[in-house]
Amino acid sequence: MNTSSHINTSLQETADCLLEIGCLLMASGASTNRIRVTMERIADGLGYETETLTTHRTIFVIVKDSQTNEIYNSFKKTPPHGANFTLVSGISKMSWHAFENNWTLKQVKEEIDRLKKIPRYPLLITMIFVSLADAGFCRLFGGEYIDLGTAFVATFTAFTVKHYATKLNFNGYLSVIFASFTACFITSFARMYSIGNHPDLAFATAVLFLVPGIPLINSFSDIMDGHVMNGMVRGTHAMVIAFCISLGMLVTMLIFNF
Amino acid sequence: MDILLHIELAFWLAIAAIGFAVLFNVPKRTLIIIAILAALGGSSKLILMHYGGHIIIGSMVGATLIGLLSIPAAHGKHAPPLVFSIPAVIPMIPGAFAYKAMLGFIKLTGDISLESYQIALDETVNNGLKAVFIIFALTAGVSFPMLISRKESAKEIKI
Repeated sequence: MNTSSHINTSLQETADCLLEIGCLLMASGASTNRIRVTMERIADGLGYETETLTTHRTIFVIVKDSQTNEIYNSFKKTPPHGANFTLVSGISKMSWHAFENNWTLKQVKEEIDRLKKIPRYPLLITMIFVSLADAGFCRLFGGEYIDLGTAFVATFTAFTVKHYATKLNFNGYLSVIFASFTACFITSFARMYSIGNHPDLAFATAVLFLVPGIPLINSFSDIMDGHVMNGMVRGTHAMVIAFCISLGMLVTMLIFNF
Repeated sequence: MDILLHIELAFWLAIAAIGFAVLFNVPKRTLIIIAILAALGGSSKLILMHYGGHIIIGSMVGATLIGLLSIPAAHGKHAPPLVFSIPAVIPMIPGAFAYKAMLGFIKLTGDISLESYQIALDETVNNGLKAVFIIFALTAGVSFPMLISRKESAKEIKI
């Protein structure tokens, strides 16, 4: 078959740009409907029609030039998932600017590059706040201040373990098991030596920072929006994480024989 | 009702929400609103439970409140509502029930007498179902305003 030798580069670039946006949104924890609407809105602002197919690991897009009826399609695989709401919020804001002020492709690309470069919170700050969050959970479930301390220390260590396991390219689920095991292992010592009045609460809450909150909520909203397949995939992902957390707990319980 | 205790719990709810907000890397300008939403939503659940409300209904009400308030927050701070609502509902997750259910499942795998098996089964099913339904209630509550307004984007919702 003789394919057209002439490729419309601007069409191609638009498709690549849209795919990049879609993949970033998917990896950062946006719901499927948000990804589709955002990609369509930006394409609309750039003057193209678009259809998308979004899955957990790959995004497919067709871009159509409504004047010349030319069509270009392309796939892109999503980067490893890691929640980043600054990116979701930045892209959402950018999509409205692109739609309302008719941005050019160059402006959209520059904005994406800028958004990608925004640094995350420093690691130490994140660790302290996450540990405080788990201490807060411990208090909410009825723990006392010594138990809060246990939960804080356990979470702090477990977060470090998870961070470095992810950095060493361990399987994501495996790093959850490592982290859950570490947190439970440390709180188990509090249980063994009866430090505090409710060391079992520290044991239960020190793993809560691993809870898959974003996949769970996105799973529900995807199913409600009619993206049942994506909803099921996200739901399964969340279930596997929950299973990994409990596996870490189970191993510790067997070791310490509670 | 011990007001001081509730204020303290609201404080810890806010801290827990901020921890997750930082983990999810939310924009800095939204942190305070997330803390307020979490404190309001979580406290409304605790207060409902204090007056004898069921924990599932309480979670539903709290999450719906967070979902509804996330719309004006999204307008004010120029960020999608999910940025506010997801970290804010996470302090309400039923961690203790899930943990007890998990303990129960482990107990059920052991060789125990029929009588204690019956008790363990009752407790495990009760805790497990509570955990599952609370999670459903939270997710449904958060999605409520988008479903009821029939809009694709929060920006189109007039407030």
